[in-house]
Amino acid sequence: MKRYLETGNFAITEGAILAGCRFFAGYPITPATELAEAMSFRLPQVGGMYIQGEDECAALHLCIGGALGGYKAMTATSGPGFILYADPYGWAIGCEIPLVVLNSGRVGPVSGITGAPGQGEFYLTRYPTQGGNFETIVLAPNSAQEAMSVIVESFYLAERFRTPVTVLADQLITDGFEDISVPENEGEMKEMGFRTWPRKINKGPVFYPSTDEIDIPPVVLGHNTGALCSDWTPTEEGYDIEEVAAHHKHAYRLIYKVRNHKELFNNLYEKNFMDDDPELVVVSYGTPSRVVNTAVKKARQNGLKVGALRLINLWPFPDEHFKKKTKYLSVELNWDGQLVREVQRAAGKDSEVHFMGSCGDLPTVADLIETFEKILKGQPLKRRGWELEEW
Amino acid sequence: MSTRTEILASGFGGQGVVRLGQILGEAAVKQGYRVSMLKSHGTEMRGGYVRSQIVLSKEPIDSPMVESPNYFVALSLAAYKAFKHLVKDGIILYDPAFVVEIDKGLACVQRPVPAKDTSVENFGRPVFANTIMLGVLSSIVGELDPDIVLESILHVIPKYHEENKRAFEIGYALLGKSADEVLHKR
Amino acid sequence: MDYLSKKYLRPRKIPSTACSGCGLGMNHKAVVQAIYELGLEVEDIVWGTSIGCAGRQTFGTWKGDGFAGTHGRVYAIARGLRLTLPPEKKIILTVGDGDAFGIGLLHLIHSARSNADLTIIVNDNLGYMSTGGQYGWTTPHGSKTDSSPYGMYEHNLMSDGMDVLGVLKHAGATFLARHVAMDGQRAVESIKKGIRNRGLSLIHMVYPCPTNFGSRELGTRDTIKMYDYIKSQSAPMGEEKENTLWATGIYHDTSDSRPEFSENIHKNIEKIRRAAAV
Repeated sequence: MKRYLETGNFAITEGAILAGCRFFAGYPITPATELAEAMSFRLPQVGGMYIQGEDECAALHLCIGGALGGYKAMTATSGPGFILYADPYGWAIGCEIPLVVLNSGRVGPVSGITGAPGQGEFYLTRYPTQGGNFETIVLAPNSAQEAMSVIVESFYLAERFRTPVTVLADQLITDGFEDISVPENEGEMKEMGFRTWPRKINKGPVFYPSTDEIDIPPVVLGHNTGALCSDWTPTEEGYDIEEVAAHHKHAYRLIYKVRNHKELFNNLYEKNFMDDDPELVVVSYGTPSRVVNTAVKKARQNGLKVGALRLINLWPFPDEHFKKKTKYLSVELNWDGQLVREVQRAAGKDSEVHFMGSCGDLPTVADLIETFEKILKGQPLKRRGWELEEW
Repeated sequence: MSTRTEILASGFGGQGVVRLGQILGEAAVKQGYRVSMLKSHGTEMRGGYVRSQIVLSKEPIDSPMVESPNYFVALSLAAYKAFKHLVKDGIILYDPAFVVEIDKGLACVQRPVPAKDTSVENFGRPVFANTIMLGVLSSIVGELDPDIVLESILHVIPKYHEENKRAFEIGYALLGKSADEVLHKR
Repeated sequence: MDYLSKKYLRPRKIPSTACSGCGLGMNHKAVVQAIYELGLEVEDIVWGTSIGCAGRQTFGTWKGDGFAGTHGRVYAIARGLRLTLPPEKKIILTVGDGDAFGIGLLHLIHSARSNADLTIIVNDNLGYMSTGGQYGWTTPHGSKTDSSPYGMYEHNLMSDGMDVLGVLKHAGATFLARHVAMDGQRAVESIKKGIRNRGLSLIHMVYPCPTNFGSRELGTRDTIKMYDYIKSQSAPMGEEKENTLWATGIYHDTSDSRPEFSENIHKNIEKIRRAAAV
């Protein structure tokens, strides 16, 4: 194991290489630029390819081409580039192409502030393309070290499910420095819980409508298997077909291959101080969850019965964590409230759901503790801007 | 919270605030600490100041934010004004060449560190101010091993090794006896 | 089914679902004929298609591996594929004019810029005909379509002395030709040269659409009239007449004159990899 003081971008690059990624196509955008730069430096050293697209739409299409040629491929961007992925992302979902897509969130809408973190794409990563009738896998790390393991896991899941996996990070994770341990051999990878899945070449039918089977090798072209894939509703052989019944089968597969195998990723969460039945559960993901942890620890020293639930697997949304009737507080890096809507839906009417958002910067420990106290005492939440709102 | 050490460094762009944080962090990693360091973000990039928030701990680090720094290195007046109130029982090290106005009402310890002038006096130019400041920090931050900090300086800055070594030693001795006082106070 | 179809095409896709009188089949046949004359086999080619009449009608016709991109994006997918396929595999794309010269033009220009080894047949039916007939970027000036009921008056890539092939030439394409569907063996010869070139080759092939273009502009779906419209306004380069819209033949040929995209990248990666291994 080698230790470094390095950025999340470095950790993600090394993780991708460990997972077997040898193809990266990107387009410069803060704060994902340094990841592209790191890939351009590292990938050729291990025989991999870095390609710069003419825009983000091209970048993800280039990755699709690379994956169709049999490579494990990845791209990375921030919000303004992520929306340009909509077209290729949909193609990759429909054609069941394994890919890893990283979004380092910054404050929006549109260009916003390049250097400020944000969590405005909670729903956009669930619906990265139009049309519906699909399920997506989205994972959110909260540190550089965890970003490495989440990237490795994403490549693993992408292969097994034959689908793109989105990693939702934020500017603080990708650009921030941390002490990072990088495994140097397979034994050390195992020690860190890293698992990998090799790229295999599909030799049977191309599509498996009506089934929720996983572990089917993806479409790889150039091996003269007669594989066909397109943006249209496919038959098993990959022919385009304009028939609603055929589309039903295709849609079933795109939704239920993920929903029926949640056990492969629904252990990706962290519960802190949840054993003693806390009166308030603070829900968060990404970098804010680290501030939440500090605040919850401190609040408990002050006698508050608070617990922290940190989501890593964001989508499909893990409803099972919200079955207990209690008070929930969603802490997010946006003012409009996104995660809170899912918490509210999953928790049901009997629970009390609150929202605390911040816009462009992290919440402070002091603000968090004050909010915990108010909620627990049943006092109205003090509004500063739109930060606090009874939901 | 006592298990973590928080260091905040802030100044103009180009003063090497990020590099200073990187060198401290790298030294701490070598010493077996868990480290996080946030570079400046938000409007700070093109606005008044650049900021490095460094946290060292023997335990895994939760919040990477420096909300109550044990050490605040202020390299511009804007930075000093923006963050002085965060320092409760820590210490502020400021360069009087830039921080020309001191808030005497603060309860915390404040020490002038004339890093820029010392660099100009000894080397004829200000570029070694950062290394001098790292020398000063090494003399008062109990967690840091000065030999390892120097090693990290020479690793991160590929040029002028002789000058950087001297600048570090000058910095290390700069506070003299008062360094011990500060160190003991912690 | 003729010999060529049997050898190279999938029976499921014959006959095609194209409208009666559509000229796309002539272009398609010229491509398959060129492949045959070059002695290439099914496994030598991966075939990509786009959105629109040309893409949809040719998708899944090739017996070997095939793919179709969303509108305008097949060039970017093909470049990614070019990097990861062995160099001896040929990639042929059959696309339409709206796809190549409208929504996909940026990707096409970057394919030319990088000189990716792709052979692109742009099947031009003079506008957006699969959506019912709207003007496009090569529609002759004054033509009536459903979105130009008063006659097309916008500047486009084939008006005012412009030529879309000129754009691609300056972007770095190494083989460019233009034909009309009725050019027969002359078109086949150009396509063969395009496939042989290790770099970006594009053959612009105008073909008749009686159903939508013909019915709006000529007021009839009469196939003969539509064919005459195209034939009478085309002439081999150097033999242009006053009314010639499409001068046919090889527009630009610098085949094999500069390093191909994937070859160039693989060469550099190999150098870096070897240096890193030392």
